[in-house]
Amino acid sequence: MEKLFLGLPLDQYIGQLLRNKFNWLLGIIFAIGIPLIIYRFIFGLGSVTHSSYDYPWGLFLSFGLFCMVPLSASGFMLGTTVEIFGRHDFEPIERLALLNGLLGYLFAVVYLLVDLGQPWRLSYPMIYAWGPAAVLFLVGWHVAIYLSVQVAEVSTSFFEWIGWPNAKKFIRKGTIGLTVSGIILSTLHQGALGALFSYAPGKIHPLWYSAEFMWIHFFVSSIPGGLCMVIAVSTIVIKTMAWRCDDTFKDNLNQLTLKLAKGAAMGLITYLVIKLIAVAHDNEWMYLATGWGAWYLLEMLAGVVLPLILFAYGIRHKLVGVVRFGAFLTIAGIILNRLNTALVVFNWKLYQEVPHLYEVIISITIFAIYIALYRFILNRLPILYAWQAQPSEVIVTAAVPVPAREQEQEIPARA
Amino acid sequence: MSKVSRRKFLAGGLAGGAAVMLAPAEKVLAAGSFSGFPDGMGVLVDLTRCVGCRSCEAACNKEQQLPAPDLPFDDLSVFDQTFHQGTQKRRPTEKAYTVVNRYRPEELDKPVYRKIQCNHCNEPACLTSCFVNAYTKTKEGAVIYDSSVCVGCRNCMIACPFNVPAYSYSEVLSPVVKKCIFCYDSRVKHGQPPACVEICPAQALTFGKRKDLLKIARMRLKKSPDKYQQEIYGEKQVGGTGWLYIAETPFEELGFDTSLQQEPIIDNVKGFLGMVPMVLAIWPALFTGFHLLATKHKDHAHDDSRVEEEKR
Amino acid sequence: MFVASSWHLRGVLLILISLLLAVTSYAMDAPETIEIDALTQYYQRVEFNHQLHVEVAEDCSVCHHHTTGTGTTDPYCGKCHGQFEELDVVSCADCHSAEPFSAESIHRQSQQDLFHVDMNGLKGAYHQNCLGCHQEMDGPTGCQDCHARTELGDELYHSGKFAPKSTGQAASH
Repeated sequence: MEKLFLGLPLDQYIGQLLRNKFNWLLGIIFAIGIPLIIYRFIFGLGSVTHSSYDYPWGLFLSFGLFCMVPLSASGFMLGTTVEIFGRHDFEPIERLALLNGLLGYLFAVVYLLVDLGQPWRLSYPMIYAWGPAAVLFLVGWHVAIYLSVQVAEVSTSFFEWIGWPNAKKFIRKGTIGLTVSGIILSTLHQGALGALFSYAPGKIHPLWYSAEFMWIHFFVSSIPGGLCMVIAVSTIVIKTMAWRCDDTFKDNLNQLTLKLAKGAAMGLITYLVIKLIAVAHDNEWMYLATGWGAWYLLEMLAGVVLPLILFAYGIRHKLVGVVRFGAFLTIAGIILNRLNTALVVFNWKLYQEVPHLYEVIISITIFAIYIALYRFILNRLPILYAWQAQPSEVIVTAAVPVPAREQEQEIPARA
Repeated sequence: MSKVSRRKFLAGGLAGGAAVMLAPAEKVLAAGSFSGFPDGMGVLVDLTRCVGCRSCEAACNKEQQLPAPDLPFDDLSVFDQTFHQGTQKRRPTEKAYTVVNRYRPEELDKPVYRKIQCNHCNEPACLTSCFVNAYTKTKEGAVIYDSSVCVGCRNCMIACPFNVPAYSYSEVLSPVVKKCIFCYDSRVKHGQPPACVEICPAQALTFGKRKDLLKIARMRLKKSPDKYQQEIYGEKQVGGTGWLYIAETPFEELGFDTSLQQEPIIDNVKGFLGMVPMVLAIWPALFTGFHLLATKHKDHAHDDSRVEEEKR
Repeated sequence: MFVASSWHLRGVLLILISLLLAVTSYAMDAPETIEIDALTQYYQRVEFNHQLHVEVAEDCSVCHHHTTGTGTTDPYCGKCHGQFEELDVVSCADCHSAEPFSAESIHRQSQQDLFHVDMNGLKGAYHQNCLGCHQEMDGPTGCQDCHARTELGDELYHSGKFAPKSTGQAASH
């Protein structure tokens, strides 16, 4: 119980919660959004969306599923780097990447549950109604299995926190297996999300559509997406909750950010090349001269080329700030790409659907819950800091409160 | 192990993996595509005959026990309805499995009416995209839907090249996909024509075996070359559809998507699906191999030693 | 199902009528009116003024093709039916089936009978023939100009006293 309240007495804990202005913002979002989510389940999808037959997938999926999943590729990327390739220098940030992966997937599923017509049937494709020839069947299975894999991967931190070293040891024994299955599942379902759109030739603008390369585009762009998300989250963490980070994390972060950026840059340049190959393969150059072409070029220039330049410059001159800006830009680029594919250039021959206001509010609310849970876990589990050896456990938790209060008091000034 | 040999191994592994990945994908693509059941039924829609009386809409409404319409079925003002800033005409909805729209091609002095409903593809995209296998292509040619397994992901609506399936968004507990099922349960299964065909006064709709309808359609095109565009819409589009259209004016002037591919939609994902078993088979060995190479002579079991290692 | 049973009866009736006609009539002493009652579920009977149409039409073959002894105007049909031979059957329903999509008819479509594979059913034959002319000659073309609807018909079309209460625009899309 003490651990839950960061070692503070209840009244002090609530006091510091209330002092934090960011919590007030979250509170306002929850106050509006959570009743709306309940409203959606009482009155149906038609009450919060535009119930469109032509745009069956609205903001819940185009943002919640198609953006959250690539931005959560960090888990398998860093897992592979550290566990498979033995790059233990990335270890201080590995747990953050794993947690980012787990939470991203978890909330992608939350978005999905809000969007499904009959969410209580989510287990049907697993249990008795198999449609194994469908790409979505693969997505469903893989996301479900991968979510379990990620729970197992992150559970080591949890077991440390609650003090079950044996459970942790048991999981650690399976690390390689878990990591390799993570790679397999990620390769396939990141690609599968793209392949889902291969079903819709003619509906998606040719510049974004490619029957052959759609899945490769989605898979490759998830690599910089996941890596940049780790850079972005670590940036926010070091700026807002530095008290929770141990010295190993703080001392290594700048160096690691540059290294991650190198990886992201490799991913981005590959992505840029295969995007161009797709345009060349289907000979779609003439579309670039249209309004859609300008929009496509904006997505590519602002979301891919500009970050690449920033990364190149930042890595060369060891400017962590520039690299971080590039990472945020990359994330924006990935989000723009997914929203474009699923919403903006979808049905480009028909008309543009604009999501319902309630749909936007619910999407923001779920994202706010994601942030709140993210922060809750980072504040507690040994993600940003290494757990001290067991004998001193009691002392460690007791030692936490002081920095905790300092930190929480500091935040309002920034927010 | 020297660095050079390790690199060679990696390169070899990747090249081998890539080669194996490509081979079966080709096989899958080559595996023959399904062109429909031999005695599958269909409907030939002769747009030169349709008079726009909307009787088919009325018959469909009754046969499928759909909710009452907003306007009577003999109210022809629906032809003037447009949606989304005047860009869209009516489309099938959860309350109407078929609708007739009016078009005014420039070269004709009379309007042309076009009935829209599920085209009952030979290899339906809705069916192949459904992860709970809710759709069935019956041997009679109907594409039917089992709402009892539907999760409501609406992937079929994304996949349908004709924008046909609708969804009962207004339902709270049991929203389902709503689309024309070719009157399968009540009629086609028993050898009777669907309700719309039966009521059509002008016999703009001809019910029959798809292969016979193709012959009949070709005969009409041949007999009156001036009256018809020399094309049967649905003969080849997305692998062929059970419902076929012939018309006097070019199809794109009548709201048809003439840019559709000839291959079934499923062909677009066969490459990806073919790669899946390869990834499942190759990745474990490949990455475990990488791991063994990359971490040789290194202490990997870094349980709690991690902290101490870093402290040092 | 409704059509199957009632059409059977009507079909038989029509054949009887037409047999009677065939025996008693020649081109110019055709009946003055013919009662068409093939669709009496949704529509009332149609009093077809045959005499009027005989006067308006240039030639019996406009409607009767090659069966009334005047030779067909359609060159396609004329290849076989060019002879000026009067047949025993002149009624529409003698050749045009009231059930063009019965299992039997569907089977016929599959036969390699090159010319009659695509023969219209009775309803299709009537309407294609009638409406085409009516449009050209400014005859009545609306459904109810010829067919007064029955109450069941109003119910089917959600019209008349079955009209929707709120006649708002179709809502969702």
